[in-house]
Amino acid sequence: MPETIATTPGTRAVPEVAISTISSLVTRTGSWKYQFPEYHDRVAPCNAGCPVGIDIEGYLNLLREGRVDEARDLLLAENPLPAVTGRVCHHPCENACNRRALDGAVAIHAVERAMGDLAHERPAPLLKGAPRAERVAVVGSGPAGLACAYHLARFGYGVTVFESAPLPGGMLRLGIPEFRLPREVLDKDIARVAAHGVEIKCDVRIGTDLAWDELTRTFNAVCIATGAHTSRALDVPGEQLPGVRPGLAFLRNVNSGKRPKLGKRVIVVGGGNTAMDCARSAMRLGAKVTVAYRRTREQMPAINEEIEDAMREGAEFVFLANPLEFTEKGGRVHTMVCERMVLGEPDASGRRRPLPTGERFTLEVDTVLTAIGESSALEGFFTDVEGADSGLRVDALGGTSRDLLYASGDVTDLARTVADALGMGKRAAIGIDRHLRRYHGDTTELNALRFADGNLSAARWLRRDPIRRTAAVNKVVTADDLNFTQFRRVPRHAEAHLESDIARRGFSEVNSGLSTADAMDEAKRCLNCGVCTECDVCLIFCPDAAITHAADGAYAIAMDYCKGCGICAAECPRGAITMTQDRP
Amino acid sequence: MSQLRIDEFIPENRLLASGHLACPGCAAPLAMKLTLNVLGSDTIVVMPACCYTIIAGPWPQSSLQVPVFHTAFATGPAVASGIRAALDVQGKHDTTVLVWVGDGGTFDIGIQSLSGAAERNENILYVCYDNEAYMNTGIQRSSATPWGAWTTTTPAQYPESSNKKDILAIMAAHNIPYAATATPAYPVDFVEKVTKAKAMRGTRFIHVLSPCPPGWKCGDDEGLELARMAVQNRVFPMLEVEDGQRWRFTMDHAGDLVEPYLRRQGRFRHLRAAQVAHIQAEVTAHWELLLRRVQAEPLVPAGVAVAD
Repeated sequence: MPETIATTPGTRAVPEVAISTISSLVTRTGSWKYQFPEYHDRVAPCNAGCPVGIDIEGYLNLLREGRVDEARDLLLAENPLPAVTGRVCHHPCENACNRRALDGAVAIHAVERAMGDLAHERPAPLLKGAPRAERVAVVGSGPAGLACAYHLARFGYGVTVFESAPLPGGMLRLGIPEFRLPREVLDKDIARVAAHGVEIKCDVRIGTDLAWDELTRTFNAVCIATGAHTSRALDVPGEQLPGVRPGLAFLRNVNSGKRPKLGKRVIVVGGGNTAMDCARSAMRLGAKVTVAYRRTREQMPAINEEIEDAMREGAEFVFLANPLEFTEKGGRVHTMVCERMVLGEPDASGRRRPLPTGERFTLEVDTVLTAIGESSALEGFFTDVEGADSGLRVDALGGTSRDLLYASGDVTDLARTVADALGMGKRAAIGIDRHLRRYHGDTTELNALRFADGNLSAARWLRRDPIRRTAAVNKVVTADDLNFTQFRRVPRHAEAHLESDIARRGFSEVNSGLSTADAMDEAKRCLNCGVCTECDVCLIFCPDAAITHAADGAYAIAMDYCKGCGICAAECPRGAITMTQDRP
Repeated sequence: MSQLRIDEFIPENRLLASGHLACPGCAAPLAMKLTLNVLGSDTIVVMPACCYTIIAGPWPQSSLQVPVFHTAFATGPAVASGIRAALDVQGKHDTTVLVWVGDGGTFDIGIQSLSGAAERNENILYVCYDNEAYMNTGIQRSSATPWGAWTTTTPAQYPESSNKKDILAIMAAHNIPYAATATPAYPVDFVEKVTKAKAMRGTRFIHVLSPCPPGWKCGDDEGLELARMAVQNRVFPMLEVEDGQRWRFTMDHAGDLVEPYLRRQGRFRHLRAAQVAHIQAEVTAHWELLLRRVQAEPLVPAGVAVAD
């Protein structure tokens, strides 16, 4: 025991040899701080960017952990047709992906496709809400109608879908060619919707075979999702000549197994997906195809991959070409006269407006396929519904101006992609469910069902959102919020494609996707933006040793010792820690 | 998995207690934590006057769960040599004697005893955590302060006018078994170096870049990012030197420009473009010198027989 030496009277005696005997834990250095770290799950940009409202980050995270069945269930909770969207969606999720700033977006569509195909092999258990007495009619079995029916069935309703064609699928079957979406894939996804208890009645045209008001009388609610099946006219002289045909009618023909004769030279007018599908289908029928578009490559609304595939397969593109008239020879179309355009100021769609130059040129042609847009036509429909003649006007949950009449998909005046249709179908299902439960509160509470400002989550509506590790904040994580230091560059997996010369010979699927193993690897490229994956970076870098593993698997911060330096938040690879000045 | 799981490389033990007195965002306790994680509890720390004298905690507390000897400024390696001798007499050859010193105690005040210990190849591990000035006493310049930096003794009108001493080359010139640079901003590299040093005998020297938010005038949460920038822009390259002869880079250095690194720190805010260009030129010249040293390393390690 060291002796103590006398010190200044009134002060504490210090031993001759001062030996520390206690730890520094008695000093609560946490009192120094003015800001507090908190673990907050935030929203990954893919989730916010998905028009369907899929918890993409959530299922990729489950795949990373090897929980494949749970990942499939989470995907199927939002998307009834993953094998379809994995093939044909324009994947805005990937455009939003923060990994673009590192080494390329995660190939989300390819992972979704593999999961969709896997779900065919391993049917999901049917999770449904308690059965409800009300019955709902859905008119149209395209993506919007199927989504609405599927979600309503999961909410517990009896649902009948009416389809005017002999087989369900709407534009997925009649508009999208088999080389992009094989029919057996579509059939299997639709079979799963039917397996949820959705009754699908084909060959019934509402307004002809069954009156609209009879439908509204028989069912407690109706969702109309009849799509847009009429090609818009060019309104130029000669459009009525034999050999000038609407692109959609041509596609419907080819997709029903027919092989119409087109002649040698085909011109497709338009720059959207219908135009690309027309061009690629026509090439498979032996034609030499030229696509005429009045703006340039950058403004084309078609999915980039489709444009590239069309180019690879040999389609020629004439940009800044606006058809003025078609001339005739021998009772058929012979030439298309075009005006050369130039790009002016951006229009309402944000794309630069094409302006005429007065310069003309002529292309010889055997068949013209027009694909400049589609509109809807409703027969015997209620005239008092707002937008009945152009595109139905709907509210945030698909409600039309008529009570208990909902609408979704291309029949509305909203965005026109498969993903948007699936998202709208889900919104209408939630709208109908709220309506039939006589829940008439304002819709602000629905914001809790959204991924930031993205689409509604059906899993959250059913309160089956998988348990989050931390309290959630509905804010999107940007690349600036991430710390890429801990991530290695891993190249994006490339899908296998048929060689173009072979692809052009038939209607086999061109893109064969990723193998299941590669898709699972690709899922691991996900940065899990905004969501803690318990990677221990915060724990390792905390200079105050204030972060420890918590009993429940996440982390605990000893606020008595955390000095609020913010290193954990700065070093967190995925922006899952937020510094706040509000004392927790 | 595209994330490097650093947790798999870093041993965990809790020899650093919370409640220590480092400023918020100080990298020194992080360096200490990583070092003790590797060395374990069979370690005696010798600590000349430095920031860590305060960080460790006031008597009767200690934030280190291993014995610590606080010593006079100039005497760290001398005290460590004595402790080493006493341990060896007791047969405790495996106990690590760790000298933990700042840049002032290494580059300036302690260099004679460090040089002496290295000359005798004392069996000690010497870690200099370099925050590039006498931070604890109020940010006075040391011979580790980089050219152009502001400190309270080198105000912005008359910033530091000498180049930072090349302490790694000085120590390598003693032909000690191991000399290296490290920073806790790259914890896996840091832990690998301490692990390698622990397994060796003789004088081992690790020069640690340890950002100091108050002294560098940066945000509390920016220090580690700045340290990574200093490595990637070659201001503070990651190196190892064995036996004073074999120089080796321990990671790739992107060769970024130094300007963004300088501009993020208040201590360099006064620098004009010409001064930044001067620093860039010095960094580039030093890098070329290092390349020659690294390339001078024989391609075949010593002791490996070569068939003809």
